[in-house]
Amino acid sequence: MTKTLVLFAHPFLEYSNSNLELINFYEHSQYYDFRDLYEEFPDMHVPAFRERKQLLKYDRFVFHFPLIWFGMPPLLRLWMDEIADGNWLNGIEKNPFENKDVFILVSTRSKQHSFGRTGKHGFTIEELISGFLVTLKIFNANIKHIYAIYDSETLSQKDIILHKQQFLAILNQ
Amino acid sequence: MESNSLAMNTLIFLGAAIIMVPLVRKLGLSSVIGYILGGIIIGPFVLKLVGKNAEGVMHATEFGVIMLLFLVGLELEPKKFWAMRRRIVGLGLSQMILTILILTSVLYWFNWRLDVALAVSMCFAMSSTAIVLQTLRERNMFKTSAGKASFANLLFQDIAVIPIIALLPIIARNTAADNDETKFLIQMLPEWMQSFSVIIGGTLLILLGRYLFVPFLRYVSKSGMSELLTASSLFLVIGVSELMISVGLSPALGAFIAGVMLANSEFRTELESHIEPFKGLLLAVFFVSVGAMMNFDVIQKNYLLIFSLVFLVLAVKFGVLFLVGKIFKLDFTQNLFYAFALSQAGEFAFVLLNFSKKVYLINNTLLAQMMAVTTITMFITPILLIVYDKIIARKLGKNKDEEHPFDILNANVQPKKIIIVGFGYFGSTVGRLLKASKVSATILDYDAERIKLLRSYGFKVYYGDATRLPVLRAAGIDEADLVVICLDNPDDNKFIADLVREKYPNIKIFVRAKNRNDACYYLENGIDNIYRETLGTAVDMAVDVLHETGMRKYAAQRMGKRFEMIDKRAIRKLTKIKEDESTNFSMKESILREQELLSYDSMNFESHDLIESYDEDEDEIVVTTK
Repeated sequence: MTKTLVLFAHPFLEYSNSNLELINFYEHSQYYDFRDLYEEFPDMHVPAFRERKQLLKYDRFVFHFPLIWFGMPPLLRLWMDEIADGNWLNGIEKNPFENKDVFILVSTRSKQHSFGRTGKHGFTIEELISGFLVTLKIFNANIKHIYAIYDSETLSQKDIILHKQQFLAILNQ
Repeated sequence: MESNSLAMNTLIFLGAAIIMVPLVRKLGLSSVIGYILGGIIIGPFVLKLVGKNAEGVMHATEFGVIMLLFLVGLELEPKKFWAMRRRIVGLGLSQMILTILILTSVLYWFNWRLDVALAVSMCFAMSSTAIVLQTLRERNMFKTSAGKASFANLLFQDIAVIPIIALLPIIARNTAADNDETKFLIQMLPEWMQSFSVIIGGTLLILLGRYLFVPFLRYVSKSGMSELLTASSLFLVIGVSELMISVGLSPALGAFIAGVMLANSEFRTELESHIEPFKGLLLAVFFVSVGAMMNFDVIQKNYLLIFSLVFLVLAVKFGVLFLVGKIFKLDFTQNLFYAFALSQAGEFAFVLLNFSKKVYLINNTLLAQMMAVTTITMFITPILLIVYDKIIARKLGKNKDEEHPFDILNANVQPKKIIIVGFGYFGSTVGRLLKASKVSATILDYDAERIKLLRSYGFKVYYGDATRLPVLRAAGIDEADLVVICLDNPDDNKFIADLVREKYPNIKIFVRAKNRNDACYYLENGIDNIYRETLGTAVDMAVDVLHETGMRKYAAQRMGKRFEMIDKRAIRKLTKIKEDESTNFSMKESILREQELLSYDSMNFESHDLIESYDEDEDEIVVTTK
């Protein structure tokens, strides 16, 4: 079985019932190593060397985060800034993302129709997090799926569980 | 049965307790059963180790009950006490009146003389403060609604003893009954004022508590001698109870009020820790003497009468209590506990029965029989509570758990019980942040002046030397989850950390450490949450110095953080290696390693050139948007 690292970043998790519900399955599965970045690096400091070493142990990655003011959580952005290493490209260091599958789960309180050219926000979610996607692409990661959950805090418990099952099905394909 | 010396008696009593209680505890029963069983075994009817003077011993140790009430008072602030007034009067009065009415009419129906029936019913309406409070303590039930109800009811009974003693001679219609063994001060007052004795005594105590006790204790604590505080604690409790006797009030009630008055003071935990051992000892001997007084001759001769009376008393009291509990809206399980716990006749029955004999209400044989009934009901209570535990609580508890299977969301913020030891500059910083975040903690310190100051700022700091286990116990370490140790003296910190780890291995310890060596010591002893007072501040300083030399603030800060992290890891490694003892890890090596690690984490800005050149090879990168 492949080993998956889940990198979860949510600065206000205690106010997000949907994300609390969504993350609990990672914790119960032995094939997922769940890491809660805001719990691990509360002082916004990421020890790059250690992180890089850790990443090499995994076969695929899940990035799970909410949109914070239409961008990704600052700590996840910082995490990427700190750990991304140019030496992964010239072969001096082993690239931990090389040909690895990446799944992204983004939650937002906005409605689906608010995104895109015709929506009131004017941009798609992919555009809003495009810097992150480009970085992954440069490191030859395969972005398999970007799973968006809209309206996240007004969903019923049942809907959230449904989303969880769908995302799990994508991961298990 | 020759009369033993006091020391010999004490020896036998304690011996019985020491042997029986661990045995009984092993079976999962209340310690009270152990004490009483021990008493029966050493009593005149089994081993004949103690003579008939068990009664004398019992009177001497009734003082344990007084201390128990003092301790209970200490845990109850005046505000809370006042808030309980409705419950005390409501529960207590209805329980007493209903019990007396029903018992009297049943006994009367069995052709007892009305006055005797009434007197005996009054005696049996009382419950055992000692047994119930001991049980509540053992089970940690003071805060539950059943615990509160039981306590309120017992308090009312304590107060009710006084009017009952006044009533008994009237019932006996025997004006000749003189009770002049103590000359009550109160009798010097005009008659109309005597009935206000409760109010006078209470006011007196409140005034004393406010204006005399605390300054007195503060004065004593300044001397810094722990045995002096023990002495003054005992002085206070004994003094108050003697005062109450001379005013004609129940000494137990007096001790309770004194306790309430001191509940708000900074000496609460210290007093508790000093009185606790005496209370435990005296209560133990008291329970043993209850067992030793069990008169099996009387029981054997009239077993039918006695056991039917036992049954009657338990059944009536249980019924009444359950009804009263229901009226006061206790939920079923709590109500059941309340009714079971208070269904016995108590030690006040002994006092009242003896008094009834004195006023010629009952004769010697009836007295012996009634005493036997009382003792047996007291012995049955712990057994009833086991029945409650084993059958009923399990059944009901199960249903409750199944109600909310998805309730993880609500469970993620648990109120933790925290004890902060040491509230100087270090500890108070911790405490201030906790307080600002509305996390409450029990705070201990032993600088009387500082405590006074901090109290005036609104911190609930208690006086107590936390290197002593009883102080920690009084601060509630049995229920605590976290202990935060912030004393100035590193040796005291180590001592407390070791003590807590040894006695309470499940409690998380957060400790202030002076330096690297201190930190190593704690790590070796399995304590993970270590806060070196010289690390964070020193790093902050270095960061600012770096900035002053021209480094950007963010870069310096980043470096500082990284350094701190590496340093903490290095110490962990150092301790591990020390434990292996094989290699000699030198300071020089560790500093070199530090520099190496720091360089690993430095930023690599050649990366961008690489990305650009990579770009050119691949022509272009399409942004992954649809």
